[in-house]
Amino acid sequence: MAPVTLKAVAKSYGSTQVLHGIDIAIADGEFVVLVGPSGCGKSTLLRMIAGLETVTGGAIEIGGRVVNDLEPKDRDIAMVFQNYALYPHMTVATNMGFSLEHRGASKAEIAERVRWAAGILGLTHLLERYPKQLSGGQRQRVAMGRAIVRNPQVFLFDEPLSNLDAKLRVVMRGEIKGLHQRLGVTTVYVTHDQVEAMTMADRIVVMNGGRVEQIGAPLELYDRPANLFVAGFIGSPAMNIIGGTITEGGFEAAGITLPLPAGVTARGRASYGIRPEHLAMAGDGLAATVTLVEPMGSETQVSMTLGEEAIVGVFRERLSARPGETIRVRPDPAAIHLFDAESGARIG
Amino acid sequence: MKTDLSPRMTVALYGLMCVLLIPFVFPTWWMVTSSVKPISDIFAFPPDLWPRRFDFSTYAQVFELQPFARQYWNSAYIAAVVTAGTMAVSSMAGYAFARIRFPFSNAIFMVVLLGLLIPSEVTIVPLFQMFLKWGMINTHWPLILVPIFGAPSVFATFVMRQFFIALPVELEEAARVDGLGRFKIFWTIALPLARPALGAVAIFTFLHSWNLYLEPIVFLSSTQMFTLPQALTQFTDAYGGAMWNIQLAAATMTAIPVLLVFIVAQKQFVEGLAHTGLKG
Repeated sequence: MAPVTLKAVAKSYGSTQVLHGIDIAIADGEFVVLVGPSGCGKSTLLRMIAGLETVTGGAIEIGGRVVNDLEPKDRDIAMVFQNYALYPHMTVATNMGFSLEHRGASKAEIAERVRWAAGILGLTHLLERYPKQLSGGQRQRVAMGRAIVRNPQVFLFDEPLSNLDAKLRVVMRGEIKGLHQRLGVTTVYVTHDQVEAMTMADRIVVMNGGRVEQIGAPLELYDRPANLFVAGFIGSPAMNIIGGTITEGGFEAAGITLPLPAGVTARGRASYGIRPEHLAMAGDGLAATVTLVEPMGSETQVSMTLGEEAIVGVFRERLSARPGETIRVRPDPAAIHLFDAESGARIG
Repeated sequence: MKTDLSPRMTVALYGLMCVLLIPFVFPTWWMVTSSVKPISDIFAFPPDLWPRRFDFSTYAQVFELQPFARQYWNSAYIAAVVTAGTMAVSSMAGYAFARIRFPFSNAIFMVVLLGLLIPSEVTIVPLFQMFLKWGMINTHWPLILVPIFGAPSVFATFVMRQFFIALPVELEEAARVDGLGRFKIFWTIALPLARPALGAVAIFTFLHSWNLYLEPIVFLSSTQMFTLPQALTQFTDAYGGAMWNIQLAAATMTAIPVLLVFIVAQKQFVEGLAHTGLKG
């Protein structure tokens, strides 16, 4: 176990800069998820921590030691790849013991460690099989077994659940989290799935365009997004964002006036954010025209037009409204987010 | 794709295939049956598809007229060395061109590929001059060195490169994280996975070396050093006429390893080329 510190880490390919000075301090034993849209640089950053990409600028420290110029094998890290990268010509046991074999461990030690890892991951009965004889979930477990078998200081996961179906993804999500809780190894996990990030992370790093948008605990990001990007990225369905003006009487948008939380002193152009579940049905609420109703069983998702803005609401109650009908909704004033119209930064 | 055909259509299709088989099977059939016919029966009209009399003495005569066992050994060991050498050179070169980033790698690969465009007849005289200077004429060195470092190896390198390019790069990255250096990655990960491609390379390299004709007749002059294709031309009478049945007996023995290679390894050959993206 070791802390991982990134200090002004930059990466460029020729004249194209893909990472612009990333600063992240990951504590010993912490589970940090790097999340962001495709091309935001999260995988590149993870590969730089692994030593699979060179560092153009800044410093990467693992356990207080700068590892910029160290080979992956000298960084004491283990990585789980998106496609598992199991060696097809080796059995599960050989795959798992391969790194120990090349680090000069004795056969008895390798066998013991492989047995230990296989026991944790429920792979004991599969040790003599080849990767092609395993299901997707089993391959994923073998990839994790290969990572834990040599007790590294840091685990790196590069979108490890992307190739699994939705049900198995949920199961494996729990298994990875459970494994982290059991072993307590510092973990950096990359995903583009914000649900994965929310459910697994101690802290989430939201990235966009090669920059860190916000670092924080999942609910902190959800409750107080630092800017419009984080507000739109974290949460599903996404936060409703409405452009308009903050005035004395409320938030003036096209065709409607929305309520503001108490104590807002800012005035002028801004973006108004309200999460779908923070809209409530209310007889004295704002009139909205329903465009789509999606009953989910436990809740109902309603797409509607409020003024001239298309928004989404999620309601616990079951609705009988049909497209074209009018319903009345009211934003919860305590759950309103305001962002600067120019910079997108949070202003309230 | 599986297609259901009517019985009549199936019979017609099989009939057509049998007819198409004749030009492929007949020469081999003719070679094998003629090798045990007395010479007078070979050109009898109408020809006999099955020998009326069997004369196996032709096979003994092959070894009496030429040091055929020695020539057989020459062909076998040269083909084996060339195959092993080409597999080594092409796998390493193919891996380097596929995986190692170095300046002008693509341009260099293109230049290497240009070697395939030069007919061997064009280079044979300069090669003769070179090996003469090195004192290697009437030795087997030219027959070993030219294929390993020449056009056959270029083709093999191309096949191996295509295979290695298709190998997931994550496997090598996982191996790097597991603590392997470049050569160990090549040796323990890439090469074992390249077995289908290596098999294909081995087969066509062996066959190419086994069938090599132009180079032996240019570089070799003593019958003890001859390889089989060259030796086959030597079964002639005092007037230079072909001793057909003996020559065909020698040809039959020469073809046996080739047939064996194809029978044993045809699946490997097809799979190997399919893996390299060279299938039609």
